[in-house]
Order: sequence, then structure tokens, then C-alpha cells
Amino acid sequence: MSARRPVDPLSKAATAAEIARAVSHDKVKATAVVEAALERIAATEPTVNAFTDIVAERARKRAAEVDAGKHHRGPLAGVPFAVKNLFDIEGLPTRAGSKINVDGPRAARDAALVRKLEAAGAILVGGLNMGEYAYDFTGENAHYGPSRNPRDTTRMSGGSSGGSGAAVAAGEVPLALGSDTNGSIRVPSSLCGLFGLKPTYGRLSRAGSFPFVDAFDHLGPIARSTEDLALSFDAMQGPDPDDPVCTHLPPEPTLPHLGEGIGGLRIAIAGDYFARGAEPEAFAAVATVAEALDAAKTVVLPQAAAARAAAYVITAIEGAQLHLPRLRTRPQDFDPDTRERFMAGALLPGAWYVKAQRFRRHYRANVLKVFEEVDIVLAPATPCTAPRLGQTMMKLGGVELPVRANLGLFTQPISFIGLPVVVAPLQRRGGLPIGVQIIAKPYNERAALRVAAFLEAQGVASAPPA
Amino acid sequence: MADDKPDVARLVDEGAKAIGLPIAPEYRANVILNVERSLMIARPLLEVDLDDELTPGPVFRP
Repeated sequence: MSARRPVDPLSKAATAAEIARAVSHDKVKATAVVEAALERIAATEPTVNAFTDIVAERARKRAAEVDAGKHHRGPLAGVPFAVKNLFDIEGLPTRAGSKINVDGPRAARDAALVRKLEAAGAILVGGLNMGEYAYDFTGENAHYGPSRNPRDTTRMSGGSSGGSGAAVAAGEVPLALGSDTNGSIRVPSSLCGLFGLKPTYGRLSRAGSFPFVDAFDHLGPIARSTEDLALSFDAMQGPDPDDPVCTHLPPEPTLPHLGEGIGGLRIAIAGDYFARGAEPEAFAAVATVAEALDAAKTVVLPQAAAARAAAYVITAIEGAQLHLPRLRTRPQDFDPDTRERFMAGALLPGAWYVKAQRFRRHYRANVLKVFEEVDIVLAPATPCTAPRLGQTMMKLGGVELPVRANLGLFTQPISFIGLPVVVAPLQRRGGLPIGVQIIAKPYNERAALRVAAFLEAQGVASAPPA
Repeated sequence: MADDKPDVARLVDEGAKAIGLPIAPEYRANVILNVERSLMIARPLLEVDLDDELTPGPVFRP
């Protein structure tokens, strides 16, 4: 939403909205946009490793059809995009970051959200690397190699939607879809310095995506601008009987409201749990955003530590249950970094699972009370900037902790009850980027997107320089 | 009390047998480590008291 100089729609700096406008007004051909994206991907992949599958011929065919007027030139006309490889892509096995799934059936049709984006004129160019079976916050993968952080390729992209973060941050595509069960859109958005949206649980269809933890699985976009989040989110909204938890409510467009500013929004900072156990840059980012929003009030999301524990327990047990047949028959084909965690999850008591689900309802009720007093809550997205690839331990607030379990420390208590969150990225001079969570009550993505758009217009939040 | 500390290695060995999950010797130490981490991470949840009337939020719609 910030005033930008005209951008070449063929450049890696172009946003999805800028490309769509140029294609819709015949300033550029969709075929040229797709060709430029494929060239960038070929040039960038050796260093970034964001893609596992490139569907060049399909993309070229689709682009030619868009140019020929065969498809309605929708709001995403000619926009190249890519999806985490747990989304079904017709004709390809749905890897979900694994080696095992490659031996499975090829997808008979595209995932629901891929179909929706293409119906809006976007063009799929490929499938993206991810942590195995989405049980990951790092973006590392033993089978396909790590997706690397374009800001510093010795560092993690974040996960599990690591390829989604890396591909957008490297300018390979302006828009990518990821999944977020405990933070897997928000962690890479923070570490790669991008805008990310984890919508309300059930608001976007998950049909045609490989599951991880049904109770928490969400899908959503990662992009270089708030406008692109809203544009793609609006195109993907709507009920879908193929996903049993998908909303029955009609779509509510967010894009027309992006420029409304923050007037009338009550904004507070999350205290207590969200104000300790992180590196100073995480808290500095929240303070910078709070100052720009003139937000001084602090609120407490009660029992957030127990919420994180409950999210962990449900994830461990549901994930292990899903993969138990494969753990029995093909343990050697798992990524070593997920295998033993899944095995451990299979041995945890069922009573913990039920207690965690009961607590979920209790916590939800208490957090919704907080949202009677405020519209937006700010919290760190990650407790630190991108760790080094291969790093297993890190210091948070002076305490040595495992990287894998703790990058999602601040995201888990939020997705646990399905609240919508936008990550606003802060580019730090001389340092790595870090994100801030803009959290709203269920079905109020609009407010979170308005706040992110305001921060972007003020120059506080931005994507990395192209 | 040292006696209260669970024998996680035994839990892993016997639990895996009970559910028919073979754990190769080279995976065993890490499985034990991850169960120990789970015990630690789950603690804040296990310490919460919930009313008997509090049931899980239903999502299944027949």
C-alpha cells in the first residue's frame, strides 16, 4: 500500500498486484511474466533450493491461455505462484517433504486453493521444499536438502514452509502458499522477512493438501506485500464441502479495507509469556511496531505456557498416529530429524491428548474475553532471527534450548485456538529480518491486514530489497 | 524425590512393544530423549486443573 515507484512487472521486485495490473492492462504478456519467473528460478535454485518440482510446461501453457483470453483475467492475472509440496499438483506425487510419499499415487487434481488461485488468473510454476511431513520449524530436509535463507544462505529459512519463504524472499515468485499447524507460515515469514497470513482455522479449504495435525492445520499465503496477502486471501475464501472443517460463511473481501488505516482499532501488546524467553531483537521489533501504532496497553493471554504445551501434545500425538503405519514399515525412509520425534509421540498417554483438547476450549474462552477489550494483539513471531543451518541448540533469554522445538514458542499458543495472524516483517539495518505477529479475533483477518498495511505505508514493515 | 522420576527408557521399550512399533537400536536413544523432552514441555498443561464439566470443543457435525 506504500507509494512505490513503477516496477517492471518482469523484475523480481514486482508484487503480485503489480503483475496482475500490468497483465490486465496489456502492458505485459503473462507468457513473458512466467518466462521471467522460470529464468529466475533456474538462476537462483542452485543457491536457495526452494523448489522440488517445477511445472514449466504447464505454466507456459496456462500463460498462453491467459494471453489468448481463454481464461477470465481475474485479480491475479498472470501472477506466477508456487505451493509447498504438501499441496496436490495434478500428475505429481504429493511429497509433503517426504521420500515415502513419492512412491504413492500421483494427484488426480490440484488442491482446492491451487484451483482457486488459478481461477483468479494466477499461474502455478511449481512445488516447494518443506520440512518432512510439516513437523519442522527449520526448513531443513534430509531428502531434498535445506531450503536456504536468501538473506544469508548459511542460515535457516524457517519451516516447515521453508521453500515458500525462500522462493518469495529470493524473488523467484511473488506469491507462495504454505501451511501452518504451529507456526509454519509465520516462522519462515519472520526469518525470511516477508508478509505472511495464517487465517482463521477453517476459513480456507484444506482439501487436496496432505494433513499433519487436523486439529490445527491451516493454509495461507506468503508474499512481499500486505496487498498481495489480501488479494490472494480474497481469491481463496469460501466454503468447501470437501474440507469438513471449512467455514459455511460467505467470503468477506479484505482488499477494499486495506487503506482504512488503524483508526478505531484497539491495539495492545501481549505481555507475560510473550514478553520473556526471547532474544532482544524479537522484543525490539514488537516495541518498534507498537510505537508506530501508538499502542501502549499490555494484555495477558492467560495460561499461554499451558497452551503451548497443549499444542505440543496434540501435535505429537496426532502426528504420530497419522504416521504410525509408515513408522512401523519404513522407518529407515524417514528424515532422522522427524522419525524419532514421531516415534516418541506414539508413546505419549492418550489422557494427555484429551486433557489438551479440553484445555483448548477453556483457553479459547479466556482469550476471546481479552478480545472483548482489544481488536489486535502484538507478539513476537519468532524468539530470534534465523539460526545457522544445522544448528541444534540456541540461547533464548540466557537459557540453552533446542532450536527445533522452540522457534515456534510464540506462534503455537495462537494457532492452538485458530486465531488469524498476519506477520509483519521488519528489515533490520545490518542484521537479519524478524517478524511481529498481528493477532486478531476469529474471522477478523481484515483488522490484522489493515494494521499490516498501515505499518507498510509508514515504512516500518517491508519485504527485503529485491 | 528421586523415586518419582519416571524410567523413560523402560516406558519407551515396553510402550513400543505394546503398540507394535519396532524401534531399531540406533533410534532408541533419540526416542527416549524426545519422550523426556515431551514430559518437560507438557508439564504446564499437566499442572492445570480443569472442571469436570469442561468437555473438548466439538468439531464433528453428523
